[in-house]
Amino acid sequence: MSDLTVVGKRVERVDVRAKVTGGAVYAADVQMAGMLYGKIVRCYDYAHARVTELDLSKAAKCKGVIKVLGPKDVTQKEYNGSVLDMMVSSDMRGILGDIDDQSIFTTHVKHYGDAIAAVIATSEEAAERAAEKIIVTYEELPVYLTAEAARQSDARQFRPEKPGNLAFQLPEMAFPDNAYAWGEVDKSFEEADIIVEDTFYVPKQKQCQMEPGAYIALYDDQERLNCWTSTQMPKLVQKKLANLFELPMTRVRINATVIGGGFGARLGMVLEPETCALAMAVPGRPVKVLSTREEDWVTSPSRHPGKYWMKMGFKKDGTPVACDAKFENYKGAYYMDASGTAFTTGAWLGGMYKFDSLRYRGESYYTNQSVCGAFRGYGNPQTNFVMEQMVDRGCAALGVDPIEWRKKWHKTIGDDGWCIGVPYNSCALDECLDRAAKAIGWTEKRAKYKNQTGTIRRGIGVSVMNHTSGAMPMLLEHTVCDALLHQDATVTLNLACSDMGQGSHTTLRQVAAETLGFPYADVHIAAGDTDAAGFDIGAHASRTLYVGGGAVKQACEDVRKQIFDRAALELGEAVGNLYMEDKVIHVKGASNKSISVQTIADQGVNNFMNPENGELIGQPGQIQGYASFFPPHNAPPFGASIAEVEVDMETGEVKVIELVNAHDVGRAIHPGIVEGQLDGGAQQGLGMALTEETYYDEKGICLNNSFTDYKMLGPSDMPKITNILVENPDPTGPFGAKGVGEAGIVPPVGATANAIFNAIGIQILEAPITPEKILEALAEKD
Amino acid sequence: MSSRVMRDFDLLLPESIEETIALLARHKDKSAVLAGGTDLLVALKFDYSIDNVISLALVPGLDELDFDPARGLTIGAKVTIADVLRSQDVKDNYPALWQAAQVFATPQLRNTATVLGNILRASPAGDCSAALYATGGSLLLKNAKGCRNIDLDDFWISYGVTARCVDELAISLHVPVPAQGEKSAFRRMTRTTEDLSKINAAVCLQMAGETCHKARVVMGCVGPTLLRLPKVEKMLAGAAVTPELLRDISNVVISEIAPIDDQRSSAEYRNKVAGVLVKRVIEAALNAKENDQ
Repeated sequence: MSDLTVVGKRVERVDVRAKVTGGAVYAADVQMAGMLYGKIVRCYDYAHARVTELDLSKAAKCKGVIKVLGPKDVTQKEYNGSVLDMMVSSDMRGILGDIDDQSIFTTHVKHYGDAIAAVIATSEEAAERAAEKIIVTYEELPVYLTAEAARQSDARQFRPEKPGNLAFQLPEMAFPDNAYAWGEVDKSFEEADIIVEDTFYVPKQKQCQMEPGAYIALYDDQERLNCWTSTQMPKLVQKKLANLFELPMTRVRINATVIGGGFGARLGMVLEPETCALAMAVPGRPVKVLSTREEDWVTSPSRHPGKYWMKMGFKKDGTPVACDAKFENYKGAYYMDASGTAFTTGAWLGGMYKFDSLRYRGESYYTNQSVCGAFRGYGNPQTNFVMEQMVDRGCAALGVDPIEWRKKWHKTIGDDGWCIGVPYNSCALDECLDRAAKAIGWTEKRAKYKNQTGTIRRGIGVSVMNHTSGAMPMLLEHTVCDALLHQDATVTLNLACSDMGQGSHTTLRQVAAETLGFPYADVHIAAGDTDAAGFDIGAHASRTLYVGGGAVKQACEDVRKQIFDRAALELGEAVGNLYMEDKVIHVKGASNKSISVQTIADQGVNNFMNPENGELIGQPGQIQGYASFFPPHNAPPFGASIAEVEVDMETGEVKVIELVNAHDVGRAIHPGIVEGQLDGGAQQGLGMALTEETYYDEKGICLNNSFTDYKMLGPSDMPKITNILVENPDPTGPFGAKGVGEAGIVPPVGATANAIFNAIGIQILEAPITPEKILEALAEKD
Repeated sequence: MSSRVMRDFDLLLPESIEETIALLARHKDKSAVLAGGTDLLVALKFDYSIDNVISLALVPGLDELDFDPARGLTIGAKVTIADVLRSQDVKDNYPALWQAAQVFATPQLRNTATVLGNILRASPAGDCSAALYATGGSLLLKNAKGCRNIDLDDFWISYGVTARCVDELAISLHVPVPAQGEKSAFRRMTRTTEDLSKINAAVCLQMAGETCHKARVVMGCVGPTLLRLPKVEKMLAGAAVTPELLRDISNVVISEIAPIDDQRSSAEYRNKVAGVLVKRVIEAALNAKENDQ
């Protein structure tokens, strides 16, 4: 594929100029005539309480106030902010038991920050001042923060249809014994010579996307509901809002604004329902709702935290005979993605190693925490923290090298992938491991760091992962793309795929240009207006390049085919005898016979009759390509990380010295963008391993919903990072590409934990691995 | 809960120290002085009591950062952390202060936050404050009645509370000339680099060869204010600083501190590492190369 001219090149990103000059227009920047401002009143006093009295009267009299809305003043319909229910068949929806349990405003507070009422006023300040005048009286209720607390027999029930506060477990109908499984696990363990087992805790990590929530809604003079939002999923949010407000889709329009980072925090609806409800109360006036960081923290979904138990059995020769696991996540106050994450967390586990038998149970429990949902990796970082530490414990007991063991026992082409029944069709994990090991000096360092004694000890650890490109076959995968050939032979693509900063509009444009055989500059991506764009699931599951790119490629192939068909007619040659060079179509072996794409495009639009003979000049009709694309597979990306750390035995402080990431990316459409994804993923992966966690006091009050006390790694905390792109084209991906948006976050988590294990000889079972936990563990060991 | 909207207040822009003092006399505890503003602007979102913000932006005579080998160091009210970091005199003569400035917050905050603001904030986590407490110094306060100097040793009363009267303006800080053989250092621990200290320590030792004549040892985040550690200081005074002494010191530190659990760490952890940190900051002071001093 060395003849590629646009794919594989580090072209200028389509969004870079606007973003670095401050020109990008985010939702918060949008100004409109007659704009009003909404302020949502939230409960910050309790995590679980009943509203016994709500007095809106004082607020209504405040200066600048247009309207004050309580729970009864908005639609009484319940909804589910997540979009999982829109990606499965109605049969499957029934089997999974997904429910609608969120209200726009509530009288039953279920988490710190739940919404009670709202003020609409002529300025943000007036709205906030009036909101302070709303008087809410509460009756405090008992608080359940963990699965253990929520499932107690005397615990109050969050939903009558979910007894025991068990929001979700793998349903018996699809998963016998409520388990994702193969083989006979209990029997297999009897064959094991070595068994390792432990219970871990994985933390409630926050996406920390740069842009806090900002929304505008307008119920216009055509009785259409317009919403400006930086959602990752414009088409699904359009449908969700249509359902919630009982409007046909033609009367709901999403204007997708520039996204300041997503990582799952904008998957589905966040404050779109509240904002739209306010707008519908003041028809004809746009209403803007802006979240503070602290508010965004507790209203947009976080990563699922919880207890993760795992047991693995090995034969003396290293054969992995059995793996048994259970993840009990602390779901939060509402259902959201209770089913999705509980399943995928096990899917990544099942997709990694050739255990003779495996059994995974995933359970989601309602708790009085803010909601959990999608976050880059969707269960994979949690599994990586646990699975990879257990594998290394097994390797230590077996006395084998962790890289050698992984190379021998990871799943590969032909093995069942993360979804049983869908085998892997490409895998270059061995090459990833080999190149990463060489780059960091694995063998030498592993030997050197044995039997250290000093205060500062080094360690080196490895981790591997499998992920996905799109969620097929678990979820619907579908993207529609139109490609319009203008009369000057440039192309505008119209589709709903979001670019949330991951660079998808750049790489999609590269795919289009390469497919068309046009220069990069001749293609434009128009996205974000749901009136214009066809269906798309949205930016999630590392799918946009793989599935969106598949749609773009197919639509552009359609354009190219139409161009060639017309050229063949004009030149009187078979299509097979033609080739294109610099947007001119030539006949093979006949240098004087050619027609430019520009001529074809122009004649298609500006089509006239020859006055002399009455015949049309050229072929009439503007060329438009179209694809309604369903991918044939999920092009599994694989990856390995090796981390080297330094641990201070007197303070427990950990410094990550170096991180090498080697990823099977299929093909790097834009190597710089791939590296950016891996760097960014590493920052979040290392953060999950070392510092990041949202936490609550015993009353359920969130203690660190801001950057003051939730600590992400900053530039000076980051190690030296080497990214190795292993290009092993996937047979189904556009130009062989696999999804890379999520992969980068996953293996740094386990690699860091294993490096610490290598340095100090102890595994820390709870993430983040803080100095406090390390010192405690060291003291226990002594 | 935070807000995107700041409280209403009057921004007052005096053009002289006298005018500033007059405004302070008029508005007293209904006012706040704005120099760098890195703490104040955050507080203004929550603090309903501040009706008047008195900005020092137009007040001349407060940006002096001057070192005189005979008189010592003077730090004016508007001197920023970044100014300190750029000063070779500070780097050469007051390494603890320079080291604290070096790790202080982020470049953006260092460009704005002032040294005196750090002292006036009276946080037990103040990095520059800890370093200055170790080197010692006195603040010049001024009100309509006149000026007074107050030693840093007497300045911090409790968390967020100082000996400054509401009508007094902090004009400058004076730090004495380094004594013969003076060595100082600052060290801290944080959750991430760009963070407040979870625990910090500063020392100032007067050394003659291997022997320490006099020591000031300060620890932060282990009590309601920054603390001096008198037992440790006594153990060092007149003693040869040997590994054995450092070990003994390390064991004694815990008896002089009273940390609590908070968002940044636990009392248990702070108790565990406090001795290590004091040992290390003493070693850092002693091991610094002459040209780093």
